[in-house]
Amino acid sequence: MIEYLELTIKNLTYRKMRTFLTLLGIVIGITAIVALVSIGAGMTKSVNAQFDRLGADKIFVASMVAGGGSGEGLRDKDLRRIEKLPGVKAVIPVVTLIAGSEFKGEEKALPITGVPAKEAEKVFSDAQAFRILNGRWIVSGDRKKATIGYNIYNDFYRVKVSVGDKIEIQGNEIEVIGIFADTGDNNQNSRIFMDFDYLREIMNKGDEITSMVVRLDDVSKAEAVSIRIKEALEKNHDTSSFVVLTSEQLVKQITDSFKVIQVVFGGIAAVSLIVGGVGIANTMIMNVLERTKEIGIMKATGARGSHILKMIVVESGIIGLIGGSIGIVIGYLISLGINIAAERFLGANVLTTAVTPALAGFALSFSFVVGIISGVYPAYRASKLDPVVALRS
Amino acid sequence: MTLLKLENVYKTYHMGKVSVPVLKNINLEIKKGEYVSIMGPSGSGKSTMMNLIGALDRPSKGRILLNGTDISKLSDDRLATLRQKMVGFVFQQFNLIPRLTTLENVELPMWFAGLPKRARAKRARDLLIQVGLGDRLTHKSTELSGGQMQRVAIARALANKPEIILADEPTGNLDSKSGAEIARMLDRLNDEGKTIIIVTHDPTLAKIARRIISLKDGEIVDDRIS
Ligand SMILES: Nc1ncnc2c1ncn2[C@@H]1O[C@H](COP(=O)(O)OP(=O)(O)OP(=O)(O)O)[C@@H](O)[C@H]1O
Ligand SMILES: [Mg+2]
Repeated sequence: MIEYLELTIKNLTYRKMRTFLTLLGIVIGITAIVALVSIGAGMTKSVNAQFDRLGADKIFVASMVAGGGSGEGLRDKDLRRIEKLPGVKAVIPVVTLIAGSEFKGEEKALPITGVPAKEAEKVFSDAQAFRILNGRWIVSGDRKKATIGYNIYNDFYRVKVSVGDKIEIQGNEIEVIGIFADTGDNNQNSRIFMDFDYLREIMNKGDEITSMVVRLDDVSKAEAVSIRIKEALEKNHDTSSFVVLTSEQLVKQITDSFKVIQVVFGGIAAVSLIVGGVGIANTMIMNVLERTKEIGIMKATGARGSHILKMIVVESGIIGLIGGSIGIVIGYLISLGINIAAERFLGANVLTTAVTPALAGFALSFSFVVGIISGVYPAYRASKLDPVVALRS
Repeated sequence: MTLLKLENVYKTYHMGKVSVPVLKNINLEIKKGEYVSIMGPSGSGKSTMMNLIGALDRPSKGRILLNGTDISKLSDDRLATLRQKMVGFVFQQFNLIPRLTTLENVELPMWFAGLPKRARAKRARDLLIQVGLGDRLTHKSTELSGGQMQRVAIARALANKPEIILADEPTGNLDSKSGAEIARMLDRLNDEGKTIIIVTHDPTLAKIARRIISLKDGEIVDDRIS
């Protein structure tokens, strides 16, 4: 085996450019596989973590009117209807919007979430891992007050926002009474939380509701209750004007969207591996042609067909292995890049991809196998060369 | 003791519809320890006969007995094994593998024969010292002169301790001084008991041989012991 390796290395370094071009296909294929699997694993992990945080005992109802649906949005009467359904413990309405704000002379559009003040802490602290850094949550009776996300405090405005400061929203002075610690999610870090009723009042939202969190009596009934909610809403809404999702469905919807990415990546990987394999086979046929005389010499000096066969197959497998190793390194770098980008734009711990030893090992064996398979035919041809004819070439 | 026997051997090449008879009814017996030189004009079938003797090829008709074994009907693998044990080839173009060092070139036949690395390396080194190249072990063949390359080739031919050395115009690409050196080397090997068969156009080299066989148009026209 050592001998085959030695021979291979000599052969490959002899034709550097060709070796490089041959490697390209397999490198791209393995890169795609490594990147794909590590990203897929990272996404699944983060979605599962999110699911754990959401809790399985909730159903989410959201108005889709703003998001392209047609018909009337959700209103208070819908909330009351859902509240009365069997299996429903409580319904918490949420209104999310973006409003003009002014802080220390700086004007900026600010994302705001309105939740009933008395429910705010309960809904968000256990569901989405908000922790107080400074001050406190809004509580029952806190009308012109807000608890703000970490980014709003830190760098949203030119000046840092402190507890006790006032932000002007729609002509109303809102007092900051609390600041959240970094949640690791930039979307959640970049909004402020106010009382539901008060926010609707100052924004002239009437009885509009953006979404609702429905808490259940019994986790195992989530599916049934969600159907009941859907039926209740369909009585006076277009089906396209709202969505009802259990925690489980929500997670599934997200993971399904990953599948599209996976299919695309998988396609790239498959095509490049086929191209890579054909490339290796082609190169090996060229190598064999070029080395016809050498193969003749080897046969004249006592090589059996099986020696030649193994030599070419090992060489081909090594090409695969080298391509695979390069692919793993590039795939790892891509995965690393995605981590850095995700941390920068989505926040820490939102998406953590990882190239595990198992993944690297799999990719390496896979590339070796592709190399070997590609080498079988050229190797067979080489092993069958007539030594007399080969020597005359 | 008869080492090699050709009985009514024919070799015909087929090129499309045309058949080219290259060897016609060759009958020949060579004893162990002989030094035979094959002469003849270009195209008379000398190399073809060498390939048959060296178990590189099979005759179209007739029998070839190498050490008592009929090799005319053996499988490729059996032929390869026999070749490995029985014959060492030396070619006009040296035919070393350029990417390998001299040591590796000499090791190659022993590797095919399944000798372990250390034994191989030791024997290769000894052989190279024997042919006067003890100081060229790690040189690539491209870094050697023609005479040195041919000496490496002789060392390689000896690697698996073959009965017969087959040398097809071994001095054809060499200047007279290197040629004479190679001739002396083959002579010495014959003295040590190796059976030597060479093809040559060089009368001085041919004269060293104790027996000269002349080929013409694929037939033996003369077989003389000097
Ligand atoms: N594989 C082959 N296919 C067809 N014809 C061949 C083949 N090998 C040899 N020949 C023909 O057989 C004849 C004898 O060839 P061979 O090589 O044995 O001659 P030679 O005596 O060694 O000549 P030289 O002195 O030039 O080396 C030539 O006419 C050659 O063209
Ligand atoms: Mg010839």
